[in-house]
Amino acid sequence: MLFDKKLFFLVSIYTTLTLQAKDLFDDSLEDLMNIESELQADVGSRSGAKNLSDTPFAVDVITANDIAATGLHSVTDILRYFVAGFNAPETSIADGSDHVRVFTLRGMSPDQVLVLLNGKRLHSSALLHVNGTIGRGSSNVDLDTIIPLFIERIEILRDGAAAQYGSDAIAGVINIILKNNNANNIIEIDVAKRSHKDGRLINSEIFYSKELEYDGFVNFAVQVKDQDDTNRAGPDRRVEPPRVTTRVGIPQSRNYLASLNIEVPQKNGFNIYANALFNYRDSKASAFYRPAGEDNETGYIHDGFLPIINAKIVDFSSTIGLEGGFGYGVEWDLSNTYGINYIKYYVDNSMNYSLGDDSPTSFYNGSLKFIQNTTNFDLKRCFNAWNFAAGLEYRYERYAIGAGDEVSYIDGGSEGFPGYSTMSAVDVDRSSYAVYFDTTYTIIESFLFEGALRYEHYSDFGETKNFKLASSYQVNQNFLIRFSLSTGFRAPSLAQSHYSNIATFGGVVSGTFTPDATVSKTLGAESLKAEKSQHLTLGSVYKIADSSTLMVDYFFTKAKDRIMLSNEQTLSLEDQELYGVERVSYFTNAVDTQTYGVDVKFENKFYLENSTILILNAWYNYSSNDVVDFNTDTITRENSFEQIDRMEHGQPKHNGRLLTKYKVRQFEYSVNVNAHSKYAEVINQQRYWFDWSWSTDVDVTYHLSKNSTISIGSINIFDTLPNKWDGLAYSQENPYYGYDSIKPYSRYSPFGYSGAYYYISGRYQF
Amino acid sequence: MIKRYIFILLLSVTLLSAYQSQEELRSVIVGKVAKYISWPRSQRQSFVITLLNGHNFELFKRIYKNKTIHNKSVEIHYIENIKELQATDILYIATQNSKNLLEILQQVPKKGVLTVSSIRGFAQKGGILQIYFSSQKARLKINLHVAKQEHLEIKSSLLRIADVIR
Repeated sequence: MLFDKKLFFLVSIYTTLTLQAKDLFDDSLEDLMNIESELQADVGSRSGAKNLSDTPFAVDVITANDIAATGLHSVTDILRYFVAGFNAPETSIADGSDHVRVFTLRGMSPDQVLVLLNGKRLHSSALLHVNGTIGRGSSNVDLDTIIPLFIERIEILRDGAAAQYGSDAIAGVINIILKNNNANNIIEIDVAKRSHKDGRLINSEIFYSKELEYDGFVNFAVQVKDQDDTNRAGPDRRVEPPRVTTRVGIPQSRNYLASLNIEVPQKNGFNIYANALFNYRDSKASAFYRPAGEDNETGYIHDGFLPIINAKIVDFSSTIGLEGGFGYGVEWDLSNTYGINYIKYYVDNSMNYSLGDDSPTSFYNGSLKFIQNTTNFDLKRCFNAWNFAAGLEYRYERYAIGAGDEVSYIDGGSEGFPGYSTMSAVDVDRSSYAVYFDTTYTIIESFLFEGALRYEHYSDFGETKNFKLASSYQVNQNFLIRFSLSTGFRAPSLAQSHYSNIATFGGVVSGTFTPDATVSKTLGAESLKAEKSQHLTLGSVYKIADSSTLMVDYFFTKAKDRIMLSNEQTLSLEDQELYGVERVSYFTNAVDTQTYGVDVKFENKFYLENSTILILNAWYNYSSNDVVDFNTDTITRENSFEQIDRMEHGQPKHNGRLLTKYKVRQFEYSVNVNAHSKYAEVINQQRYWFDWSWSTDVDVTYHLSKNSTISIGSINIFDTLPNKWDGLAYSQENPYYGYDSIKPYSRYSPFGYSGAYYYISGRYQF
Repeated sequence: MIKRYIFILLLSVTLLSAYQSQEELRSVIVGKVAKYISWPRSQRQSFVITLLNGHNFELFKRIYKNKTIHNKSVEIHYIENIKELQATDILYIATQNSKNLLEILQQVPKKGVLTVSSIRGFAQKGGILQIYFSSQKARLKINLHVAKQEHLEIKSSLLRIADVIR
């Protein structure tokens, strides 16, 4: 047996004695100032930052230094790089989903992850994923609206936290902390390419900080990112001779980002703060190629055409706040956060078959808009061992679909992506208010207790009450146990309640209708209600040494009434005649699910001779999602096999990250290994499995001087690709998916299918 | 053989590593900085560190147990209100006092008290020693003007490793 009792006993005794023997007071002041302090995180409690090894729930932190050594320039990619259990596939030919990256935590839904910016709720994208991608039927925050160079750290709370933060905090909370004072000015330029010599990326970022009185600051950053597309499409066997006709890969995009973060502390303790993020994205991806045939023989492109879907996205968010004190140690914080995401769709190189030769080739297809405004008033008071916080929140949300040009939607609409019609156009809003309490109590030095309560009322679906209890107990200097028990909820999004659209694909007219639409009700749809969740986590932290930590955390989440987009249900002939569509899908509180698993994390830092440092971090995540109950007769495992299977098997259950870094003199070497277990995708009611995948990332950074570095590296250096469809080949019934077809890889692949990414980066601090 | 390697690895990890909480580092630095500072002559037999609010009393007591500063044993006092302040060499002001910092500083005796805090802007607001963290490492900011008003003499070797406000 590898770990016998004798060995474990010896190691425990030795490390305990060694740790106890260490006395910092014997170190010189200079030595003390060179010691790296333990990371802290704010997320999970309103009572202030906590050491990661002391929290009663699992929290991870990615620092600015960590981010700098990745060669990545998208927050989504950065999280995928570090966090086992964070999944962000690179989908293509999925309309809007190509342009707004979807992500999940622990295999749950994208909208079950709350994202905060400096502790304040960040708005989600207006996009509702309605194609067959991971996260179908949900909206998520667009993480790529944040400039990586603007980030001080990213905190990931791996626990439910709706009692503290409200809706969405079911799978976890991502809190992005922006750089504040004491930040270096930086300019960075990066060039990257893919192994197939496509996907060129040119990225430039500038961060500038100006210090103000009393440690205040004005920070400003801009980023310009120019990404060429990649193409891993297989031959299109609908054309003769078969050839590559379609683009399957990363979309072509131009990104312009600007960010501002300001704090102006006053001498009397009053503090004024504000931040703003702006992103304009112009992104282009293709639909499936339309070959010459019956439908387009009269069109302007007689030998076929490739529709290009162009999303122009504007995203803006801003927080303005004031902090002060009432006396008696009571601190207050009044803030307002506004966010808007606005997507306008255009389709080029396409046609509306119904218009024949009169069809335009470029279309304006309509818009999606989501606005969220949140006002918070928080109070905090510390009484030695007892911290107490309370607050009020008022949130206003608005969702709108704007109709496209008539030619983009009439009689089937523009090929590739029909526009939103005047029937789909909607402009709706709602509001909610909440009152919440949060307390931590250090019963004895080694025993911490946390509790939270939140009442919230939504104007559309009513009220919800949630609680959280959490505790940690320091058994001895090296060993801590922790647990949390909580309830949570997720309000149905306005998009889920009000999205509708009709499309024609393969000659079949199908539509997504609101749950309250008459046609949906004929199929048994009901108004949406909130998803409810229950959470349990049990964990332990074992400090093997001061900078060597082993964390093991078990988690269990039961989610009731999860909202999903139903499969397309065929109407009776009579109803087809009445409503003008053949197939209908709608959002419904369809299923109850259970998610359980474990995170095992080992972090270690070796300080060797001659200022050499070796960092060795390993993280294993197991997440299993199971549908355990169906809430409606119209949704069953059989008739919704694809949707249910996507939830249960669409994402890897086993995820691993092995991150190593070796710093010696002017060099830093990083070698990371990523592992993803198998996953499945359903095509035509048949499940296809995709194998385990392993990929390796390498980075070498050379410090040219104290202020400048140059990095060369690769993500997925061995050019690993997911395996192609096993047993699925081209056929007339299935012309798109297959190992020998247009899409040879699954869109669920957790590391994409564009292959190795090589980069060179230069960074200068001034 | 494998067991032996694991054992050696864990031992080496224990010997070579160093991670400390910010709270612990701050608490130790308070006393270490005192060694670079000369106080006006005092009749007290012990060196007194007074903590204003915060829940780090037990930590300070543990760190300074059986320790000496300027050849005096160290006493840790804890007060909840600045009005309770008695004769002290160091006044450590916890961050939760940030909103009424000016009132607190006004009530500190103008002779021989080193005020220390991690409150943002502390040194510029009239405190003497601000301990803050940047990239996980402790940094010092010293208001030399206020230190002189308090009749404290600070060694140049400390000023060299700190940001100095004059």
